[in-house]
Amino acid sequence: MTALQFESVSKRYRIRSGSESQESGFARRLRRTRTHKADFWALQNVNFEVQQGESLGIIGHNGAGKSTVLKLLSNISTPTKGQITINGRISALLEVGSGFHPELTGLENVYLSGSILGMRRAEITSKLESIIEFAGVRPFIDIPVKRFSSGMFVRLGFSIAAHLDPDILLLDEVLAVGDYAFQEKCKQRIAEMHRNGTTMVFISHDLNAVRSVCQRVLLLQRGEVIAEGLPDDVIRRYTETAAFHQRPQITDERRVAEVTSVKFYDSLGNRTNGFRTGDAVSVTIGYRVRRHIPQGSISLYFLNSEGGIAAQWTTSLSGRPINMLVGAGSVEFTCDELGLQPGVYQIDATIEKNGTAEEYEWQHACASIHVDAAKTRGAFYMPHSWRETSEDSVSFLESLAHTE
Amino acid sequence: MELEQEILVPPARVERPSPRPVKIIRPPSFSPAVLFSGLSELIWYRDLLYTLTLHRIRVRYKQSALGLGWALVQPLAMMLVYTIIFSIFARFPSKGVPYSLFVLCGILPWNFFQTALSSSATGLVSHTSLITKVYFPREILPFSYVMAAFFDFLVACVILIAMMAWYHVGLTVQVLYIIPILAVEVTFISGVGLLFSAFQVRFRDIGIAMPLVLQLWMFCAPVVYSYSDVPKRFRPLYMLDPMVGIVENFRRVVIQGWGVDLHLLGVSAVVAIIILPLGYMYFKHREATMADVI
Repeated sequence: MTALQFESVSKRYRIRSGSESQESGFARRLRRTRTHKADFWALQNVNFEVQQGESLGIIGHNGAGKSTVLKLLSNISTPTKGQITINGRISALLEVGSGFHPELTGLENVYLSGSILGMRRAEITSKLESIIEFAGVRPFIDIPVKRFSSGMFVRLGFSIAAHLDPDILLLDEVLAVGDYAFQEKCKQRIAEMHRNGTTMVFISHDLNAVRSVCQRVLLLQRGEVIAEGLPDDVIRRYTETAAFHQRPQITDERRVAEVTSVKFYDSLGNRTNGFRTGDAVSVTIGYRVRRHIPQGSISLYFLNSEGGIAAQWTTSLSGRPINMLVGAGSVEFTCDELGLQPGVYQIDATIEKNGTAEEYEWQHACASIHVDAAKTRGAFYMPHSWRETSEDSVSFLESLAHTE
Repeated sequence: MELEQEILVPPARVERPSPRPVKIIRPPSFSPAVLFSGLSELIWYRDLLYTLTLHRIRVRYKQSALGLGWALVQPLAMMLVYTIIFSIFARFPSKGVPYSLFVLCGILPWNFFQTALSSSATGLVSHTSLITKVYFPREILPFSYVMAAFFDFLVACVILIAMMAWYHVGLTVQVLYIIPILAVEVTFISGVGLLFSAFQVRFRDIGIAMPLVLQLWMFCAPVVYSYSDVPKRFRPLYMLDPMVGIVENFRRVVIQGWGVDLHLLGVSAVVAIIILPLGYMYFKHREATMADVI
């Protein structure tokens, strides 16, 4: 049985130029000036189905239309064209603590937030014990939530949402809430709901989570579904889509150099965009120079899914500046152990005057890699070694103490 | 500490008592069909209306020393001011009852209208984060403000009862008419509240103009004076304002012990009954893209 279906769904946003908050459309109409409206199609002719009990993942780069799909599915907004059929009760775990009011107590907020999410009062009452227990906030349930720690706030919010018992569950990046122990609890809860036949739609940047949760994955690009299928196939396709489209960030007159290729290789010298934390990686960057740059440097930036810089590789740290003659050239970076944790990273490449911020070239998102299954936990991987030591040997700290 | 807690996972419910609802989401259209589909959805969400109303009442007086007393202070203060102006300085006729009681009887239904309308009109915009994150029938937000204002009105009626006892003004059986009178008032407020709150999402001018509009409107309704003080030639136009029939009749049945002016109340009822479905249809039409515009 089909749980939900998108039929030729398109969504248009109107973008009004000018400062909309300063002057309303009505005032402009009074002055008889035409506003310049630009149409932006966030989704175009999107078709897909999800069977009951299935779990579907939706991936795509920022701005591909993922959050629009979520908004339409949860009925926050409506499509401009097409039709969406939802068979069953749908709940979205999009924003935990939706509708919490800081002045109300935890208990009052359970009723408030639960009602907003679509639960009946009787239903909330019957699940109240379980909600409080799951959130682990029992001693604080009668104090205003403005006195809650942010962790307690998030746990209570998630706990309410986790008790909705929907037929279809929409998941955003919510799995990253609370401390580690609570995250594990959330994952168990979601897995259990899925075992009990709940249909899942999971929209995420976290490709590992998508791979472990989903049976089928859709890839969105610029509002269109460009791939659909088994998680491994679609995820590979995803990292290839950002292959090399020219997106220079600086003006033409300053741009006297050009990055022409960015290629990633594994330890065996095979080209790939998929790595594991701790792998050896090498990258070759091809460039072309129009004017002689006597002292150049090349950098690679690894951008995380929020667009922040996770790491940088640069030629300016070691060796000599590169003497870039007019014509083509290339450099190779190598790294023995990749320190990035699982995720998708977009790559920016720049060519600069060595030791300065003067840029000759800046290619944004000219490649992307995905990093899988880390062997260790934490924000990043640190290369380390170890050995067994015998009992009578002097420890490192003790040897320090003796030398003083 | 947290890490040492035992991980407890409550069993997810397996049985599903209610049949699966099938929902079809289409592009927005302006049609009377939403009156039925919207209403059935509203019935499903009735608990939310109740919870939100309760929430408004609780939040309003949280961390204030006087608490619920504020629902009494405002009409009392207005009564004192108007009594000083219109009974000591200007000497308005008050039809056989003390002017303070006369004016209080106008202030109460008027204050209900004013509080409900101004809070419901801005109600959607003050819940932007909710509207862009969760779906529920949006009309519940303005409705909950109407209900909360109605609660305040009931509390404020305590003053009226106390004043009537003080002046030895008795209730007659006519007082039962306040039920249809208040029903008309709630209908009218709901309709206008829906229209204004949907406008407010696109044009914030509504919220800014509201205090001025309500102030002028008050003096156009028989709050500080009586309907019979209005020159006869203006009355056909004057009575088209539904608040005229509501305020005038409220005073007639509660303190004057006269029968209801059916003609006036009828006009109010017709206007209110026309505005509510129109307001609802317009609101539902705008609701579809509210999250994109707000």
